[in-house]
Amino acid sequence: MHVVNVQGLRKTYGTVKAVDGVSFSVDSQEVFGLLGPNGAGKTTTIECIAGLRTIDEGSITVLGIDPSRQRKALYQRIGVQLQETSFQDKIRVYELCGLFSSFYRDPIPYESLLARFSMMEKNNAYVQNLSGGQKQRLSIILALISNPEVIFLDELTTGLDPQSRRAMWAYIQQLKQEGRTVLLTTHYMEEAEYLCDRIGIIDRGTMIAYGTVEEVIQSCGLQTKITFEASEDIADVLIDRIPEIAEVQRAENRYSVMSHNDGVLGKVAYLLEDRKIRYQKLDVRRPNLDDVFLQLTGRTIEEHDK
Amino acid sequence: MNAWVMISVVEFKLLFRNFYSVFFAFAFPVGMLLLFGSIYGNEPVESFGGFGTIDLTAPAYMCMVIAVTGLMSLPLTVAQYRERKILKRFMASPINPSRILTAQVIVNLIMTVMGMAALLIVGALVFRLQVYGSFWPILFSLFLITISMFSIGLVIAGVSSNGRMATVLSYLIYFPMLFLSGATIPIEIMPDHVSHFAKVLPLTHGVELLKRVWTGGALADSFQNILVLSGVFLVCALLSVKAFRWE
Repeated sequence: MHVVNVQGLRKTYGTVKAVDGVSFSVDSQEVFGLLGPNGAGKTTTIECIAGLRTIDEGSITVLGIDPSRQRKALYQRIGVQLQETSFQDKIRVYELCGLFSSFYRDPIPYESLLARFSMMEKNNAYVQNLSGGQKQRLSIILALISNPEVIFLDELTTGLDPQSRRAMWAYIQQLKQEGRTVLLTTHYMEEAEYLCDRIGIIDRGTMIAYGTVEEVIQSCGLQTKITFEASEDIADVLIDRIPEIAEVQRAENRYSVMSHNDGVLGKVAYLLEDRKIRYQKLDVRRPNLDDVFLQLTGRTIEEHDK
Repeated sequence: MNAWVMISVVEFKLLFRNFYSVFFAFAFPVGMLLLFGSIYGNEPVESFGGFGTIDLTAPAYMCMVIAVTGLMSLPLTVAQYRERKILKRFMASPINPSRILTAQVIVNLIMTVMGMAALLIVGALVFRLQVYGSFWPILFSLFLITISMFSIGLVIAGVSSNGRMATVLSYLIYFPMLFLSGATIPIEIMPDHVSHFAKVLPLTHGVELLKRVWTGGALADSFQNILVLSGVFLVCALLSVKAFRWE
C-alpha cells in the first residue's frame, strides 16, 4: 500500500500556479525525494500533503488519512520539519523538546533523541544560539518525538556546510533503516542521488520526471561519457571494434566516447592496452540528475536559482 | 504534562526572560511610583479631593501596566511568532495552534496581575497606599480595562503583516495612551484641548473609571467610561477574530 498518495494536486496563489497537476505516490519504508529548483513548487506540495495548506484540486492521502480532514489524527503518526522555521527567543532546547513531547500520546523520550543526535550537551542551551547544523538536528528531533511512521523533511540540508550535510544524510539513512518512510525535498541533485530510492523532479509546478534515479536517467536517453587523452588517431578503430559506442569526438588529443552502455569503459580500456596506445587521464562520467534536468528543461538548476 | 499547561508554563518563562516585558510591567511603574511618591508624598491634598497623590497615581499606574502587557507585550509576541513561522510549526503538530494564542493571553494576564500586585505592595509598604473603594467594583473595572486593552492588542497582532508593522502600530497606540490618558501624567494638569483629545483614547476612560472606584466612587457614575470600554472590547474582539491570520 502507498503511504502517501497524491493525485492531480493543484494549488494557485492568486494568479500564480504554484503546483499544477502533480501526481505521485510514496511506498512504505522508502526515501522519496521531490527535487527541483527554488520556486518549483516543492514546498507547496509537501505543505499540502502535510495538511498545512488547503488544496484547490486533486486528492491526497497519507497513511490512508485525508490530511485536510483529520489533521490531529494524522499528526500523531507523522513528523514534520518545515523550511525556515525558527523558534521562540530565549527558549532552551530541553524546554522546546518537553513542549513538543506534551503534544503526543506516546512520545519517544526526547533525552534519547538528544543523545542519538549528539545534542545532549546542548540540552540547556538557548535554541537561538545553536549553529545551523545543530538547529537542523533539533528540527529532526522535534519531528521524531511523535515516533512517526512518515517523516517530512523540507530542504533539510539547505545552507549547511558539506560536513553537516553528510551527517544529515547518515541520519536520514538511519530513519529508513528504522522502518520509517521519508519524503524530502531538496534542490541538491547529488543529495537525491545519494539518498533517494525514488524521486520526482518538479519544475514550474509540474512533475517532469518520476521513478528511481536509474529509471529517470535512462528515460532521458542520456549517455555515459568516457574521456581520455592520446596522441594517436584511434577514433575509427574504437567505432569499428566496439559496437556499443554511439559517438566518438576528438579535439586535438582529447577523446570523448559516448555510449548508452555503462560496461563500455572496460572495452575501451582493453582496446587501448591491447593496441599499446599510450593514453592518460582516462575518466568516465555517468549521466547524473543535473544532466537530466538540463536535458528536460534546457536550464541548469543553478541558472534557475539566479 | 498536559499540552495546554505545558505551553503556558513555557511561554511564562519566556515572557520573564524578555527584558522589555519585565522592565515595563514591573520596574518602570514601580520606579515611577517611588519617584513621584518621594517628591509629593501621600499626604491628603485638597485639590485632589482630599486623597493622597499616591492613592490616585497607583490606580493610574495599574492602567499603565495593563497597557504594557495588552498593547505591547501581547501583540508584539504574537506578530513575531507568526512572522517567524513559529505558529506554523505548531500547526504542524496535533495541538490546535490557537492554544499558543490562549497561552499568550494567559501569561500576559498573569504578568499584569503581578505588575499590579508589585505596585500595591510597594505603595502600601512605602507610602501607606489606601484603597477607599470596595472590592467588586474595583475588580470589575480592572477586568473591563484589561479585556478592552487586550482586545486592541489582538487586533494589532491580527492585522500586522510582520513584526515591524506590529511594532509601529503598537507604539502609535501605546505611547499616546501612556502619556495622555492620565496613566502617567495626571490628566488634571493638562491643558483643556489636550484633555479633550484624551477623551478619544480608550485608556483615558480606563484611568477615569479605576480612579473613581478606587476612591470610593460608584460604578453608576462611570456609565460613559464603562460604555466606551465595553464598546472597544466588543468591536476589537470581533475585528481580531475576523482579521487574524496564521501566516
